[in-house]
Amino acid sequence: MISQFAALLTPEQVEQVHEASLEILANVGLLVRNEKARALLVQHGCLLDSETDIVKFPRRIVEHFRAAYPPTFTFHGRDPQYDRTIPDDGPLAMTASSAPNLIDPVTGRERRARSDDMARIAHLFNELPALDLFSVSVLCDDAPEGYFSLSRYYPALKNTVKPVRGNVPNVAEAKKVIRLGELIAGGKAVYEERPFITHHYCAVVSPLTMDFDSTELLLYLTKNNYPGYATIVPNAGLTSPLTLLGTIAQGNAEFMAWATLKQMVRPGAELIYSALPTVGDMRTGAYAPGGIETGMMVMGFAQMARYYNVPSAGYAGLTNAKLADAQAGFEKGMSPSIGVLAGLDLVNVAGLIDALMTFDFSMMVIDDEIMAMIKRVKRGLEFSAENLALNLIAEAGPAGMFLDKQHTVDRMKSCAILPDVADRDPRETWVKKGGLDAQGKAMQRVKEILTRDNPAVFSPVVDARIRAEFTNLVAGDSVPPPGWKRASQTRDRKTRRRRKHIRQ
Amino acid sequence: MSDDEINLQEMPIAEILELMGEDLYDGYAEEVVEEVNECLSRGMTPYDVLTNGLVAGMDVVGVDFRDGILFVPEVLMAARAMKAGMSILRPLLAETGAQKVGTMVIGTVKGDIHDIGKNLVSMMMEGAGFEVINLGINNDVESFLGAIEEHNPDILGMSALLTTTMPYMRVVINALKEKGIRNEIVVLVGGAPLNDAFAEDIEADAYCRDAAVAVETAKKFMQIRQSV
Repeated sequence: MISQFAALLTPEQVEQVHEASLEILANVGLLVRNEKARALLVQHGCLLDSETDIVKFPRRIVEHFRAAYPPTFTFHGRDPQYDRTIPDDGPLAMTASSAPNLIDPVTGRERRARSDDMARIAHLFNELPALDLFSVSVLCDDAPEGYFSLSRYYPALKNTVKPVRGNVPNVAEAKKVIRLGELIAGGKAVYEERPFITHHYCAVVSPLTMDFDSTELLLYLTKNNYPGYATIVPNAGLTSPLTLLGTIAQGNAEFMAWATLKQMVRPGAELIYSALPTVGDMRTGAYAPGGIETGMMVMGFAQMARYYNVPSAGYAGLTNAKLADAQAGFEKGMSPSIGVLAGLDLVNVAGLIDALMTFDFSMMVIDDEIMAMIKRVKRGLEFSAENLALNLIAEAGPAGMFLDKQHTVDRMKSCAILPDVADRDPRETWVKKGGLDAQGKAMQRVKEILTRDNPAVFSPVVDARIRAEFTNLVAGDSVPPPGWKRASQTRDRKTRRRRKHIRQ
Repeated sequence: MSDDEINLQEMPIAEILELMGEDLYDGYAEEVVEEVNECLSRGMTPYDVLTNGLVAGMDVVGVDFRDGILFVPEVLMAARAMKAGMSILRPLLAETGAQKVGTMVIGTVKGDIHDIGKNLVSMMMEGAGFEVINLGINNDVESFLGAIEEHNPDILGMSALLTTTMPYMRVVINALKEKGIRNEIVVLVGGAPLNDAFAEDIEADAYCRDAAVAVETAKKFMQIRQSV
């Protein structure tokens, strides 16, 4: 437990930001391009300027629907064991998504991503214990006509049992993906009981604009009870003021805009206060999600989310680095850390480099380790009499030893994170093992996992059912990339055949 | 076998030895002692109990530690169980004149009070069946020489954590030379600031990077000594 969250805003300042956002919504309003959304907003008392399609949200309307915000959000996995609810199970770690490119694991060169890559990515993700949620990582360049989304979701769902989240371009594509979920679950009713695909849409585009398709998705999915949420993505200096505070005020208004619309569709509909705030690099205009300011604004948004009693999410683990290098490490280490210290419930972190453009397998392994460490921080000092260990300190005594105590054996795997990537060997051993840096060690782990069979894939029966309906579907299997051989079995701790025997 | 109750008396000896290995692996000292006693009462020689029971069991522990399956605290628990078994066998082995695993005198050199590493080596050596005389910290030449005279060890182990105290190892080695006993004893040195070059320079027999390496090195030197 973290006994007190870090805060960049005082409680009074939180209220001032809230007031500022209400003022933006009431006086500036949003450009609402989607006609159905406009109609619904007007029907509930918002004010439309039909010349400009700008809708103003009176304060009382926003506050009325704010009362319906629900406090939790549950992600379902194909295997219910991996269902996660925030804030209780947080901080959760999610992959970052929809990169067009990928670093080829064998050649190390960047190229377009394909559906076979997606299968490997989901397989690797499924084996990484600190990663909870799979946001469909890449686009698939080999998608057959009419299979744009299915070519991404099918390999993803086939290769992980944990919750899957993703974007689709429009309602027609959403329907195909939902149908895929029904076929996997074994029927519409079964799927709707535990929908293991969570949808994501950018219903508000900064500054202050609701577009056509993404807003349509919000309306359709919410009305039909399919879980989903939106992320606000202000870019300071370009699509919001070049101040962190102004960006938070505008972003907060944008969150309340889509949240209000969603509550109008179905009061009590699930929400996550999700943000991807950046400051544009004014030297070149470069998009800079690796900046520390992203982490700082995520802290601010997490504080606003807590004020509204809704779960928070932040793209706090992004980088502009072109490799899984030191820049990637510090950018992906710092922002998630400060975000979680500020009470962030969900971190979008894993797998992508180069400002969301490119997926890198070794990066995802390193991100898993970063998140294991950050989750350790959230566990805190675990205050209890047992953990104070006064008896043990007395037992070992001055100049005594702790290493050979049962107390130590009992905690040797749980007290500290035992990293795979971070190297702790003596130099001599490190040299003998190849003198690898973090990226090299992470790549070894990638190879180890991707040269084994994936136990998570669903049965041939389910597969046949899906292929009968979607006849042109990609293969979707995680096979080792060309040049990598299948690995041998790993060993585990010897298990006793007998129990400890009882002395006479 | 789903036995909560194990009756050693009814068990074939091969199974007892197997059980001894499992109990060593899990660090159950009292159980190991019972099994050693049961084997002896059936007429097994102390040497056979040592090699086919304890040493065989600790070999598995060693392999799994090397492969990262067992952790240091588990190995120390196993070493403690081994030590308990050895405490029964050692006097019997001496009586029968069987070949010793080996004896080691170990201590941190003068001026240095850092002894965690040295204690680890000590426990791991006991885990390998060695008799270890642990002199503790801050040992001068007289302390080392006195212990060597009293215990006639095969191996002298010296440790230092500080660059300021490690030169004292040379002083001890020179004292062994002066007494004319340098060639009668294997000198192993260890500690964070040391390296192979330093060990060579002061004319120690070997530098051991960690406790596991120390055990391996000690076993190697014992083989050479016993084959001469």
